[in-house]
This record gives sequence, structure tokens and C-alpha cells, in this order.
Amino acid sequence: MRSIFKLVRRFVATLMLSLLILLVLNIILFLGMASVGLESTGGWTAAETVSSGLAEDGQGGYTLDEAGRAELEKRGAWAILIDDAAGDVVWHSENLPPEIPLHYSVSEIGRGVRGYIRDYPTTSASRGEDLVILGFPKTTYWKLLKNTYDYRLIAGLPRTAVLVVAVNLLCVILIYLTATSGVLRSIRPIVSGIESLPEGTADGERVYVREKGLLQDLARAINRSSERLARQGRELRRKETARANWISGVSHDIRTPLSVVMGYAGQLAEDEALPEEARQKARMICRQSVRMKNLVNDLNLASKLEYNMQPLKPEPVSLTAVARRAAADLINGDAAGTYEVICQWETEGEPCLVMGDKGLLERAAANLLANAQVHNPQGCRIWVRVRAEGEKAVLEVEDDGTGIAPQELTRLRETPHYMMNDGNVKEPRHGLGLLIVRQIAAAHQGEAFFDHGSCGGFLARLSFPRIQKKES
Amino acid sequence: MNSDYLKEKRILLVDDEEELLKLVRSILEGEGYRQIRQAGTVREALKLCRQWQPQLAILDVMLPDGDGYALLSRMREMADIPVLFLTAKGEDEDRFRGLGLGADDYIVKPFLPRELSLRVGAVLRRSYKNDVPLVRLAACAVDFERAEVIRGGERLPLTAKEYEILSALYRAAGRIVTIDQLCEAAWGDNPFGYENSLMAHIRRIREKIEANPSRPASLITVKGLGYKLILEGGR
Repeated sequence: MRSIFKLVRRFVATLMLSLLILLVLNIILFLGMASVGLESTGGWTAAETVSSGLAEDGQGGYTLDEAGRAELEKRGAWAILIDDAAGDVVWHSENLPPEIPLHYSVSEIGRGVRGYIRDYPTTSASRGEDLVILGFPKTTYWKLLKNTYDYRLIAGLPRTAVLVVAVNLLCVILIYLTATSGVLRSIRPIVSGIESLPEGTADGERVYVREKGLLQDLARAINRSSERLARQGRELRRKETARANWISGVSHDIRTPLSVVMGYAGQLAEDEALPEEARQKARMICRQSVRMKNLVNDLNLASKLEYNMQPLKPEPVSLTAVARRAAADLINGDAAGTYEVICQWETEGEPCLVMGDKGLLERAAANLLANAQVHNPQGCRIWVRVRAEGEKAVLEVEDDGTGIAPQELTRLRETPHYMMNDGNVKEPRHGLGLLIVRQIAAAHQGEAFFDHGSCGGFLARLSFPRIQKKES
Repeated sequence: MNSDYLKEKRILLVDDEEELLKLVRSILEGEGYRQIRQAGTVREALKLCRQWQPQLAILDVMLPDGDGYALLSRMREMADIPVLFLTAKGEDEDRFRGLGLGADDYIVKPFLPRELSLRVGAVLRRSYKNDVPLVRLAACAVDFERAEVIRGGERLPLTAKEYEILSALYRAAGRIVTIDQLCEAAWGDNPFGYENSLMAHIRRIREKIEANPSRPASLITVKGLGYKLILEGGR
């Protein structure tokens, strides 16, 4: 919507600028035209010329000198001289039209001087007590007959001007608003449609703009793009689902045959009637079957987490409880006591709560411990720590085993796992265990961090947003 | 611990995979269970239930003529026997559904023979613990049917919480049970902040079952993690 506001502002500015330019242009034009029309005062000068060019010829008549004659000829005008006392025409030019009267009453003189005599526009000049009137061809002048303004109008002119300008502006704005509100109304849904296009179609949903009005073509285009994006989103989602389902199906179908393999191998391994060598082999089959089982489980979970198909059931979970469970499982499964687990709960007696899926969090903790076991079959010490760090709850697993080579650590931190890698994978692959840990952390808005341990081993740190203790 | 009486329980196996039935049967027989029958379909299973009245059922979820969840409900209408799911469906959803219906345990394929026999043993022990004459500990015996500790001819009653805690430890005898699991057993869901109460209860249980409560021989503390119950005879 901000863009619309900007658009309106730009529009108004342009409009005002054009108005100003128009005004200036008009003033210039008017002044130019008026300069041509200034000649209209020429009629009055002509009357003066004729008046001063008239001379008494001594026999009671008058003669017009050369200049006066030339003036009349140039304008095609006629002239009369009216006697002051009787109102008679005592002299006139030769070209006097026949309809012009030769005697004038006072009122006739008044009308004649102000406007027209028999539709001939006139100008006048006085000659002593007498009056000279010039008559011009009918289409020469257009005379203003009642050239009188109210004094107050002239006195209040500045105020009037301001008022006029204001009314004009208001009028312009009104016209603009009426004209543009229609456009704006049709633009607004389109703008909001475009704005919601990236988010709206993310989950295969559609954005719909009504295809009506001025910009229906645009609306149609948006709807088409939205549909296309949504279709692509759905398609992608469908493919991901199909892939995850496929992995899930394979991992399901492989379980029963694997059970049989594992079951009999397990029995053979414990069959005391068999020679030790054969039992050893059976144990090997067992161990590898367990690896296969874990791999299948991991693959399934990793693909579900990757495609967001693992439903999270978030509830307040004590991170300490999660860590304890994983540590207890390790110890319970480690009858020989190969590993020494050292628990360090630095939560000051408070349960360190995070919002999460208990099963998944336990899985992450178990994977970290399993990682320490897998890389240190000879045994090692494993520290399991839980602590509150400000707004974070931290679960840390560290061992003093063989540790990790620096380049291996870099690879672990930086290269994406082969499951997420669309390029050719030639590097040796690391297991899914830590990938799942990272995925679970990400699914809980947390972080997984891997490093060298302080005792030469491996260190894994998970941090999650901690549920703050309520004031109540 | 003398648990021979459990080997006499009638166990019904239901799975449509012949190979798997054979395997489970051989594992359980190897453990000494003597009364085992098997069924490949829901129909057969229900028929056996009526005629033979098994005391434990191990069910697959996917069966040719129905699913294990429905079978569980039908079986429970006839008799309240412990049921264990043994299935390839390992999703949490499936597990919750099975446990939600009241299954006693849920084993996801594939499994090791030891795991299966341990879990079957645990379910049987739990379900038929009232059959157990006495559970022997280093300094006493526990009578779970009457919730009493028998020590030198004296009978000490267990409170409800003490009973729940001791039961939870007994179910996982020889293994560490975490503080949180014990709190959950005694106080139910959302068992935060009961750690101190748990410690007090453990102290009182020790006073009843241990010869020297400050040097426990049966109820062992695993520092930072939880507790472990050692049964007489090494388990």
C-alpha cells in the first residue's frame, strides 16, 4: 500500500506543476495578444488629430488639414463637428453615410459619445466648446457600454484573487480525486495481489484478484502467475511427499526380512552348542543387521524432517530429563562399562524447559551419545551437560576419545549432507546421525554446533530457546 | 528371582509372515516358554482366543483380513490380557495409536532376540505380578500384591507413592530408571519439580527395604541420572 501512497503524491505534484506552467503560459499569451489590441486606443488619437486639424475658413465653414484627411482615409472613418449651442452638424467629412443625422439632442450626443451612432462605433474629441465625433466602419471596434465597476470590488481585489485561486485549486483537487479514485480502486487489489504473491503461493495456495474494471488484464495476469506458482508449489510438494513416502515404504518393507536375519543371527550368537568361531560370525551378522536397522530408521526420519513431514508435537520438555534418559539408556546398554558417563546439570535445581517434541529431542540426545560410542569403540569418558545460558537452553555432549580431524570438522560444518546435495557426491559420506541432530535442532528453532573437545575429543552443543519462568 | 511360573503362560502369536512366526516362536521357546500358539489372520486369532484363552498376545499390525488395532479391541472385549505389538510400522503415530489403545508394549521390527524376550518377560511380570509370591531383595522381600515389605517376619506397608516408585523400578529391574521417569510414574504427566519429593520417598523406601539405608544394597543411586533396583540373584 505504501507504493500507492507514493504514486498519489507523485501524481499530485505533477498536476500542480502543470497547472503552474499553464498559468504562466496563459499570462504570456494574453500579454502578447493584448499588445496587438493596444491599437484600439488609436481611434481616440485619430479624433484628436482631426479635431486639431480643423480650421475655420473665415466664411463660417471649416477645412480639414492634410494630416486629418490622411488619418480619416487610413481608417475609412467619417467625422462630424457638432455645434455646442444648437446641436447642429456644422462640418462633416465628404464620406459621411447618408443615414447619419445632422442634428443632435443632448441625449443623442451622450449616447453617440459613449457608444455608437447608427451602429458605427465612435470616438470623440472636443474642439473648444464644440465636439468632434469620428465614426468608424461597423466592424472596427467593439465598445464596452457600461464600463463601471463597484468600488469595493476593486478595493478588495487582492482578497478576491486569493479566493479565486483557492476555489480553483479546490476544484482541481476534487476533479483529480474523482478521476483517480476509480483508478486507485482498481489498482489497490492488484497491488495487494502482487504483494502477497511470494508468500501466498508458498504452500501451493492461490492468490486471487477479481478480474474486473480498468485493470482486468493485469488482474488476469496476476491470477495466471499465481496459479502457475501454486501449481509448481503443489507439484514440488507432491514430489517431496512421494519421495519421503517411498523411503518410508522401503524402510517398512525391509524390516520384516531384517527381523528374520537379526533374530536367527542373534540366536546363533547365543547358541552354546556352536563353536566360538561360528558364534563370533553370528555376532558380526547381528551387529551389521543392527547397523542396517539404524540406517533404515535414520534414513526415514531424515527424509521426513527434510521435507517437513515429521509432525512435531510440541510440549514443555525438560532438557535435563531428555539428557538423563539418553545417558541412562547408554549405561543400561553398556553392560561391560566401556564408557564412563559424567552428568553435569548446571540448571540450579530448576528444570531447564524447552518447547519441543520429546521423542525427537530424545532422539537427538541419543544420536549424540551414539556418535561418541561409534567413534570410540575402545571406550572413553563422555560428559553430558545441560545448562541455561540466558534465553537459551544448552545440551552438550563431549568426549575425550579420538576426536575429529580439522578438515573433517570443516566438512561437517560446511558441506551439506549428501541427502541435501544435488551435485555429484564423491567424498566419503558421513553418517546420518549428526545430520538428524542438526535437523531436529532446526525444527525446534535451535542450533547444532560441532567442535573439538577440550580433552581432545569431540564436542557437540545443541541450543534451544528456553521457556522463561512465568512471573506467577 | 524365580520366574518359572511365567514360562507356563499361554502366548498367542499373530502374524501373516510364516518365517517371522517361526522365529518368534523359536526365540520364546529358547527362553523356556512352553505354551505358544500362532495365527495368521484375525479370524484364526479370535477363534484361538475363544477356545484357548491366551494370557499374552503378540500382534502384528498389518494382517490379511484386518489390522492389529481392531484385533486388539476385539480381544479386549473377551478378556483383559496383556498385548504386545510386534510390527514394521515404526512411526510415532502408529506407536501412539497402539499404546493409546492400551497395548502393553510396542516392538518395532527388526529386533534382537534378547530385546524380544526381555520385553515379553517384563510385560508378563508386570501383568501377572500379583501371581508372584514375593520379590526377593538383599535385605527383604516385597509383596506387590499387598504392597508390603516383609523383613525379618515384620510386614511394613508401602504408601501409594512408594508403591508406584518401587513398581517402576521393579519393572526395569537391573536398569537405570531416570528421575524423570520415576516422577512421571508417581505423579503423572508434566512431572516437573518433584525431584525433592522423589528423594524423600526414595529415602523412606530405603528405610523399609535396606538393612542399612545409608549404604543401600538394593536401591542404588546413579548420580545425576536416577535409580536402579537390584534383585536378589543378580538381576
